[in-house]
Amino acid sequence: MAASTSRPLEYLEGLPGTTFNKLYQQPSTALAIFRRMLPDLAKCFVMALLYLKDPLPMADLELWVNAESRKQRDNAISILGRLHILQSKLSDEKVRTYVVTDPFATSLRQALTGSADTLSFGVLSNTPDEYKISIDFLDDYARRQWEAVLGYMVGTSAFEQRGPRDGASLSEGVKQLLQAGHLVELRGRSVDITKDGFGFVLQDVNTQVWHILILYVQTAEAIGMDSVEVLSFLFLLSSLELGRSYEKKHLTPDQVRTLSGLADFGIVYQESPEATQFYPTRLATTLTSDSSALSNPVTGSMGPAGQPGSSGSGFIIIETNYRLYAYTSSPLQISLISLFTNLKYRFPNLVTGKVTRQSVRRAIEMGITADQIISYLLTHAHPQMRKHNAGHSTSNTGGVPPSVLPPTVTDQIRLWQLERDRLRATAGFLFKDFTNFAEYQAPCQYAAEVGVLVWKSDRKRMFFVTRHEQVAAFLKNRK
Amino acid sequence: MNSVDASEHYELGAIDLAPSLLTVVIDTNPHAWAALEDSLPLSKAVANILVFINAHLACNYANEVAVVASHSQKAAWLYPVPNSTSDREGDITMNANGAPAQMNKYRPFRVVEEQVTRRLKDLMDSTSSDDLKGNTSTMLAGALTLVLSHINRRTIAWAEEHGGASLEDAADSGAGSGANRYSASNDDERLQSRILIVSVSGSSDSAHQYIPVMNSIFACQRLQIPIDVCKLSGDAVFLQQACDATKGIYMALSEPRGLLQYLMMAFLPDQRSRRHLVLPTREDVDFRAACFCHRRVVNIGFVCSICLSIFCEAPPGGACLTCGTELDIGEYDVKPALMKRKKKKKKPANGTSAAGTPVSTPTPGP
Amino acid sequence: MPRAVRGLLIECDPSIKSMILKYDEERHDYIVEDLDDEHHLVIKESQLQGLKARLDQDLDEKIMQLDESESE
Repeated sequence: MAASTSRPLEYLEGLPGTTFNKLYQQPSTALAIFRRMLPDLAKCFVMALLYLKDPLPMADLELWVNAESRKQRDNAISILGRLHILQSKLSDEKVRTYVVTDPFATSLRQALTGSADTLSFGVLSNTPDEYKISIDFLDDYARRQWEAVLGYMVGTSAFEQRGPRDGASLSEGVKQLLQAGHLVELRGRSVDITKDGFGFVLQDVNTQVWHILILYVQTAEAIGMDSVEVLSFLFLLSSLELGRSYEKKHLTPDQVRTLSGLADFGIVYQESPEATQFYPTRLATTLTSDSSALSNPVTGSMGPAGQPGSSGSGFIIIETNYRLYAYTSSPLQISLISLFTNLKYRFPNLVTGKVTRQSVRRAIEMGITADQIISYLLTHAHPQMRKHNAGHSTSNTGGVPPSVLPPTVTDQIRLWQLERDRLRATAGFLFKDFTNFAEYQAPCQYAAEVGVLVWKSDRKRMFFVTRHEQVAAFLKNRK
Repeated sequence: MNSVDASEHYELGAIDLAPSLLTVVIDTNPHAWAALEDSLPLSKAVANILVFINAHLACNYANEVAVVASHSQKAAWLYPVPNSTSDREGDITMNANGAPAQMNKYRPFRVVEEQVTRRLKDLMDSTSSDDLKGNTSTMLAGALTLVLSHINRRTIAWAEEHGGASLEDAADSGAGSGANRYSASNDDERLQSRILIVSVSGSSDSAHQYIPVMNSIFACQRLQIPIDVCKLSGDAVFLQQACDATKGIYMALSEPRGLLQYLMMAFLPDQRSRRHLVLPTREDVDFRAACFCHRRVVNIGFVCSICLSIFCEAPPGGACLTCGTELDIGEYDVKPALMKRKKKKKKPANGTSAAGTPVSTPTPGP
Repeated sequence: MPRAVRGLLIECDPSIKSMILKYDEERHDYIVEDLDDEHHLVIKESQLQGLKARLDQDLDEKIMQLDESESE
């Protein structure tokens, strides 16, 4: 959960408080943010506080959490604070207490009880369609559009030929968005994928969609659309139901505009831009899910052509000797695999190759991380690998969870990355020049409590934090 | 020496966390609810539980829920309804109404709510006064069994979908590997199931279900499914044991009106979050058992040395009622020190209770 | 009077740290603060990419690699 949420989370954190105030007016937004952006413990805190009449004293909350889990607690509270969900207040008795802030609390309560009349969860369209739009059709549509986007980025020549035949046409808007997000660069007439782009194509679909959506919101601001409206529309989309059509007439003009933008990516479907109703596709309705918490026919069928929706949709077998067999004929998948593999043979339904130090380093130089390679292999692992390894490695590897991929391969891929990655850099701020130890210790301790402290040295009276705002405010208050 | 080594990087790769399945057993025993009418009527309690269920569904996209009513003469599914046809019907009638007010509710919430309330109403309507006469207990054993089979089905289905150990593996080697599937070290990767019992009936009424209830509890213990109990009224010997054995949470509410807050605070966190939280624990667990012959709750009784059946009085003829073994009972009210060596042992009247556990105040049997 | 300085906290092996220190000696354009233990120092944010590239290059030269035979 944590890894894939980071991008939307980072974006949201950067928004001003007033924007949050507007966003949280909608129950659907409150629900989506609650579900998607918060760690487990934070969800427990919010729910525990939601129906509490009085603010909860900070000490009580601390008592509630195990001593060993302080780190998780601080992290949860810090995220809640940054998303303006939890507020600490001084009560009348001068006790520091926590409350869930208001537009959020009210909206979440409304979402749970359904008591608001804000039409926050979309309006189902009652007019029957001329053609029945099935879920299969929507999945297929989403898959084609999304694959076309990826294909465009990877720039496989095979795809340019395939493009028109598949009927998935990329609009200028899509291309501009990809460029604006520095996922591709235009060099003359040819499209070059960037480092970010390489990382992007190997991510799971859910993360990709979020990436695109955040880009969309950012560019929407630039062309004068209201980012709050666009954002709350995105969260609304995530709470709609697959296979139903929804009325457009309740949407604002900006939201209608967003709709046609998203249709290009296959996130929603509408028969024509003038249609009065739209269908969310699986890409939209699973936005607030964890990336792999549900089997996703859209991702699944992006593997081998012609087996859409089968639950065992993986097609890659990798052996302990680093040889890789991929049962696919999709040019997109083959070109993705070739990013980190030395491909050797190609058959009509199979490519084989070997993962080598060189091939992995080449990938890493392009900006792909070992974790991305591993998670790509994992999501596309052949059902045989899952069955074999999950079923049999439990007994002999005491304590180590069984892994689908051979551990030697995943370890080695990581080690190859580490060869080049001999230092870890953390951006932030160094606090120094404290005149005495007491002056140093208080803010340092505070920084540790709010979870921003990375490094400290009592001897040199210095400490390093990832964010300075809270600590600076703390120092100021003490004067 | 390597301060930057591979081990640190492992942590970065977050494991995808499995969703949780919450199964709620609502004790709908009309006698007990009638007694609670003043402080917390059933309708209000159900409304509270529904909000709690929504909160659970809100926590994760893939979280699931199942609701079973443990009624006076039977246990019934409230959600999901076993045959999907009635599910469809529900959808259609809903659309026909087309009331826009319904759009203010997130759909998964609405579906659960509508089904639970409708099924609960059906259940109450179908309960005749004859059913209630002379029957003051609740069908807890049946409800627990329904819930367990549902959990089992969902766990297997989920593992199949997500490439865990497959069904064939489990089926191949029968029970042994089945247990493996549940108790494998990768706890985070399987469907996290738990059971919440909202209980109002007293245990003395349901002592006749002692054996099936305990069997369900042992099944949960083995499958590592915590049983949480939210006790609104009555005492519950077995339910305390259930929580104790399965590491669940037992809470007897002193103020039933605060049900929702109790639910949200104590019962909402799933197994993963519970690791980080300090949970309400209970030290004085009532470990008393019910006898097999008259279903009385006993402090001290006779135990068959072969099959461990418990009897409140020496079985007639000295033959165990369960396994039929001829027990050499002798003169059982005699002090053990005075006894000659017998082949079969027996429980003298002043011995300690079964597990040497804290004994709560004994309540006389009916 | 305490001060806050923007920078990148680098965590690395002593060997890598000494290489960075050596680079810095040339023009003093990397390090903001040497944190005096074996594993940490703070550098300028803008220098990370350059530093990484330079380290990679030097490490490639200095560390022996096994031959990768493509034997099948």
